[in-house]
Amino acid sequence: MIVTKIPDSMFDDTISERVRPLAQAFTEGGLTRLTLREGDFELELRRTPAPSAHPTAAAGSAGEPAPARPTDAVLADVVGVVRFLRPPVTEGMSLDADRELAFVETLGIRNPVRSRGAGRVAAIYVTDGQPVEYGQPLFAIER
Amino acid sequence: MFRKVLIANRGEIALRINRACHELGVSTVAIFSEADRGSLHVRHADEAFCVGAGPVASSYLNIANIISTALICGADAIHPGYGFLAENARFAEIARDHGLTFIGPSPDVISAMGDKATAKRIMQASGVPTTPGSGIIATPEEALAIADEIGYPVLLKATAGGGGKGMRAVESAAEMASAFATASAEAEASFKDGRMYVEKLIRSPRHIEVQVLGDHYGDVVHLGERDCSVQKPSHQKLIEEAPAPGLDPAVRDRLHEIAVTAARAVKYTNAGTLEFLVDGANVYFMEMNTRIQVEHPVTEMVYGVDLVKEQIRIASGERLGFTQADLIPHGCAIEVRVNAEDPENNFAPAAGTLGRVEFAGGPGVRVDTHVYAGAVVPPFYDSMLAKIIVTGRTRESAILRMERALSETRIEGVKTTVEFCREILRDEDFHRAGLGVDWLPNYLHRRTPVHA
Repeated sequence: MIVTKIPDSMFDDTISERVRPLAQAFTEGGLTRLTLREGDFELELRRTPAPSAHPTAAAGSAGEPAPARPTDAVLADVVGVVRFLRPPVTEGMSLDADRELAFVETLGIRNPVRSRGAGRVAAIYVTDGQPVEYGQPLFAIER
Repeated sequence: MFRKVLIANRGEIALRINRACHELGVSTVAIFSEADRGSLHVRHADEAFCVGAGPVASSYLNIANIISTALICGADAIHPGYGFLAENARFAEIARDHGLTFIGPSPDVISAMGDKATAKRIMQASGVPTTPGSGIIATPEEALAIADEIGYPVLLKATAGGGGKGMRAVESAAEMASAFATASAEAEASFKDGRMYVEKLIRSPRHIEVQVLGDHYGDVVHLGERDCSVQKPSHQKLIEEAPAPGLDPAVRDRLHEIAVTAARAVKYTNAGTLEFLVDGANVYFMEMNTRIQVEHPVTEMVYGVDLVKEQIRIASGERLGFTQADLIPHGCAIEVRVNAEDPENNFAPAAGTLGRVEFAGGPGVRVDTHVYAGAVVPPFYDSMLAKIIVTGRTRESAILRMERALSETRIEGVKTTVEFCREILRDEDFHRAGLGVDWLPNYLHRRTPVHA
């Protein structure tokens, strides 16, 4: 979860009284992204898929009857701008093996983002041209 | 003035720079490692970007990710703080090549002052006194000849040296041959470079440094000196003060004059510090630090100048807003470094989660810190938690105020230097001015006698 742009004066109250219940509802509701603006208060919640060591259901919330399929999050390992392939990878696409999904461009260098094995593209968290930070989830791959 | 500054640091200095930017109406971008996600510098900045994992090589030293962040955010300048990339000429150069202003001196000056031998040569050429010594020597016989000339005791040092490796004190000619052999072998083993040089050993010097500021129009001023003689055996500073107590006014004037001359000689821009060893009336240039220093607040308190704001103004092309005559020091300031380390165990650094955190307040007390109750102290970084700075009309009143400030300070969850520093402040040697850099190591030795 990434929280941005909270004025310092509001930080303590915000965290304890507002963000926690909001974050809980966000998680339980199975949302992947939520932005809230109110005056000079701005909050963005993004759901981070579980790391590959702890596989979880792709998109379903806890309690759904569908059997859980292990999902890997592909994270940005550099700070840069996402560049999609032509044609771009799409949600639901099957990957027969380890393959390139996109690039993250850093100082003119295109760093490939790879699927690390076969699977299905369960989610795309970014858009073409979007700046990303280190560790930011880019894709979810269902094994 | 800049529109947006990226702060390429963490901890208290990142907050310090953030404050200066906000007072100047400049917006800020923080960078952080995965271990610092909950850190105060991230909260205070207008924007924040994760640039890597906890270890510094992946994050705070990751030049590509830091420059990339600056470009993505549309920053026009980078403030490096101290440590990390602050004195990395390549980083300053890469920033410049990407159209970003590096808030510091030019890459050439950083590089020249970063090499100790080059810095010493440049300073000598400008008439700055340096420690008497030799160039690189090949044999113990050459070392003997130099030592006869400059007088014992001397220090044999490895040209590639650092951290005391390849270094030996030599008290007399009889010890030279064996000392040379062992020091050179040690240097060869540690640095794959056994080349040595000889320097006069100054037994109990004071560490006194002079703050300078230079703008891009050739104006250079000094902001007096700081005494940083209370150092741990590892040579890390623990207590600093301004002005240097009990310093002969003639020596003080000479230090200030040398510092300004030297800064002019290298066409120095931005904030810098010239470190000297002072032995009675003798002063020797040691090195120049081409960055803002940890202990800069004591100078700020005495001169009423915000050094970080001046750095930013100078880098943005403004002229110095004052002349030397405008700079008049008032009173005394003392800084104590509150580190997460155990003074009873060789100052071993500690990491963990802080419990209760309460800092001092009241008249004449300034606390620069990034920690809070419940904050995590990661194991990857410097152990400094806070700097407590006090002012007083006299040194005695500043010392009493610091004792009071430390007595109000509570940090639970890790061992800290708070109580140890209180003990130092109560020591009569500390009250007596003019301690040498060997004072604290000797004090520790007396305090916990080592039985062979």
